[in-house]
Amino acid sequence: MSERRRAVVDTLFRFQSLFGLIAVFVAAVIFSPSRNGELLFLSSDNLFNVVRAVSEIGIIAVGMTFVILIGGIDLSVGAVLGLAAVGSAVLLVDEDFGVLPAVLLVLLAGLVFGVLQGMASAMLGIQAFIVTLAGLQIARGLARITSGGQGVAIAYGDGPGEAPVAFSLLGERTFNGLVPIPALIFLVVAALAIAFLRVSAFSRHVYAIGGNEKAARLSGVPVTRVKVAVYGICGLLAALAGIIHAGQLNQGSPNDGGGYELDAIAAVVVGGTALSGGRGSVVGTVAGALLLGVLNNILALNNVDPNVQLLIKGLVIVAAAGLQRLRPDQ
Amino acid sequence: MGDGDGPLVEMTGVSKSYGGVRACRDVDLTLRAGEVHALLGENGAGKSTLMRILCGDITDHDGEVSLAGRPVRFGSPVDAQRAGIAMIHQELDLVPGLSVAENIFLGREPRTRYRTVDARRMVRRTRELLAGTGIALDPRRPVGELRTGEQQLVAIAKALSLDARVLIMDEPTSALSTAEVDRMFTVISELARAGSGIVYISHRMEEIGRIADRATVLRNGSVVAEFDARRMTAREAAEAMVGRSVQTLFRTRGHEPGAEILRVDGLAVTPRRARPGRREPAGVTVSVRRGEIVGIGGLLGSGRTELLETLFGAGSRGRWHGTVLLDGRPVRPRSPRQALRLGLAFVPEDRRVAGLAVNHSVLANTVLSIVDRLAVLGVVPGGREAGAARRVVDELRVKLRSVRDPVGTLSGGNQQKVVLGRALLTEPRLLLLDEPTRGVDVGAKAEIYHLLGAAAGRGIGVLLASSEPAELIGVCDRVFVLRGGTTVRELDTTGSSEADLLAASMGGGAAAEAIDAAATQGTVR
Repeated sequence: MSERRRAVVDTLFRFQSLFGLIAVFVAAVIFSPSRNGELLFLSSDNLFNVVRAVSEIGIIAVGMTFVILIGGIDLSVGAVLGLAAVGSAVLLVDEDFGVLPAVLLVLLAGLVFGVLQGMASAMLGIQAFIVTLAGLQIARGLARITSGGQGVAIAYGDGPGEAPVAFSLLGERTFNGLVPIPALIFLVVAALAIAFLRVSAFSRHVYAIGGNEKAARLSGVPVTRVKVAVYGICGLLAALAGIIHAGQLNQGSPNDGGGYELDAIAAVVVGGTALSGGRGSVVGTVAGALLLGVLNNILALNNVDPNVQLLIKGLVIVAAAGLQRLRPDQ
Repeated sequence: MGDGDGPLVEMTGVSKSYGGVRACRDVDLTLRAGEVHALLGENGAGKSTLMRILCGDITDHDGEVSLAGRPVRFGSPVDAQRAGIAMIHQELDLVPGLSVAENIFLGREPRTRYRTVDARRMVRRTRELLAGTGIALDPRRPVGELRTGEQQLVAIAKALSLDARVLIMDEPTSALSTAEVDRMFTVISELARAGSGIVYISHRMEEIGRIADRATVLRNGSVVAEFDARRMTAREAAEAMVGRSVQTLFRTRGHEPGAEILRVDGLAVTPRRARPGRREPAGVTVSVRRGEIVGIGGLLGSGRTELLETLFGAGSRGRWHGTVLLDGRPVRPRSPRQALRLGLAFVPEDRRVAGLAVNHSVLANTVLSIVDRLAVLGVVPGGREAGAARRVVDELRVKLRSVRDPVGTLSGGNQQKVVLGRALLTEPRLLLLDEPTRGVDVGAKAEIYHLLGAAAGRGIGVLLASSEPAELIGVCDRVFVLRGGTTVRELDTTGSSEADLLAASMGGGAAAEAIDAAATQGTVR
């Protein structure tokens, strides 16, 4: 293979998920139903809806990317989302917290939950899969205990038992009613994570641990500390997604977020991050999340049977993972 | 067996390319029944590719391979094994969780009447097999518990159990002790006498002189020389391999060592949890002065690696006894990170396991130890990062296309230089090296010695653990010999021979025997 061709192939594979996103996007345009000669899929309302729909999973997937980069996994994120949603609702409605204190407290709780899981995994040497599987049960249990097993409805107003109106912004749109707030938060989180992963010393340590943990330790990387921090970040972002979830639905339901961990992992994998760790990017994850979102959207627009939708999604995930096996350096 | 006098294996016009890179170019190679044929060449010269073609691992090559006069084309290693060709890879393909016996009979376990595995027969046959090769191992022990050297012996036993008439050995002795090497050579000689052909790949000249009949040298994928192995000199072979005349392999001494950097006195470690196969320090005394290269000798399992790991904060957790002084101050690093801060740096034994993230770029691997020092408020300035990597890569003359290429695409010697470069970038006071030239070709070896000499010249203290007596005697100023985790001897290398070192390593009556054995085989100068 010539030098030039190699470079082209390398680029194609490096940005595989972006090209995949473009391909799915083009397909969506082609298969889009139209009304009054306008393609439904391409309407700005619809496009921003796609981003809004993936924002919760997307934010979780950003955190999951860090965890998977160090060769770990976090199965607790969906349950943490549920716990955070319940926590937000209870703090705002029953405890009369202001928006900022409530949000900060819930984020802190998510961070602590993640840090504890990170410590159990990194210091006690229990496999992340098992620690976070246990974490999933614990978070779900806490959510049900806190809420009494029922969804906690959020009513807005100034009176007791009512949440501050500011919290309802999470269900609104900004920029002339164009951009949904959750979509904006997702894009900001993603941009910060992309920048962080590109320039920070911390990210070099993250990749090194995923690439070869032993070598990383012997090279002076504070492996335990980095791992704990990564699980902390993941828990924090899951809590953020939970707050958004509560704001969008105007309630905190303890059973919400079930299966989100798998959707997030799917976005990460479709985005080209290796489950074995050490290789991948947040750019890929964002593209992966959007790809799955566009796919969902176009299938829904065409009224495809939801069960068939699942089937198609499954095939796309396998295809994406299969394509990565073709990388020349594999 | 071969038909009449024809060669057992004949490879004619064999070529193989990877992308644009020609790994093998029009190679002719014959292997006769009953001979040990050494294959020499630098890393990347095409030895492994050629052998992988022979053992059916690579199938899309040009040229002919014939076995006992009949042209063959294997579809897979299993095909080749059925035809009687077995290869022992450098990277051992053993399953750590399975026992010695289960590994040896993996995929062809003896069965009972009911098609279940006949474990008793398997263990018995393994015991016979091991006894035949003089290996004292319990067939029921999990392979993962064995030391690397013992694992290597299991891999050899496995190859033997295939009753191969062609046996390919890729650096089989790299992790063996001297006694184990001797035992293995006996086995090889017997196999050859029984009519097998053996291809023997090694970087150790003295071994080739002892065991091989013929030697073929590859360079850049082509055969460049053939020698009578018994008469070949190390210099001839080295020159054929590198294609230029090799100056001196070992560094030239001549500078005065300075103040004492490291003083270890009676160091012993009582681990909190004993790990099988580990030899913790049990009374180690070592000292290193500024600008000095000090060796750690001793047999496999004498505790060389464990000593370096302990000093670097990467050893077993547990209680320390004795003193470790760094520049006169007592230290006890509890993690590699702390050790690096104290001015220690470490080049571990197995670069693929503990040294490198092979899929990551040369850049990322080189600067890993200093990224947080380069960072300003947690942000790494990309330019300074790349600059540091380029500087060290140039200084160490690492051969590469771009620092962005995965480090795994470099040859072994260049990979080793990347690990060394990372250590040097931390500007250490004391450099700890564990087998820094294992699996590295002659040219790169000489360069690494030169780099160590240069580091010492700048006042860095170097502590080098090695299993190669020639390396210790040739490179070091002094050598401390360990036996059973204890320092048993300090040797001044001027005026000491490899035999002295060997004798001290083995101790007692065994030493005399070893020297006798070595003398009869002509390795004592």
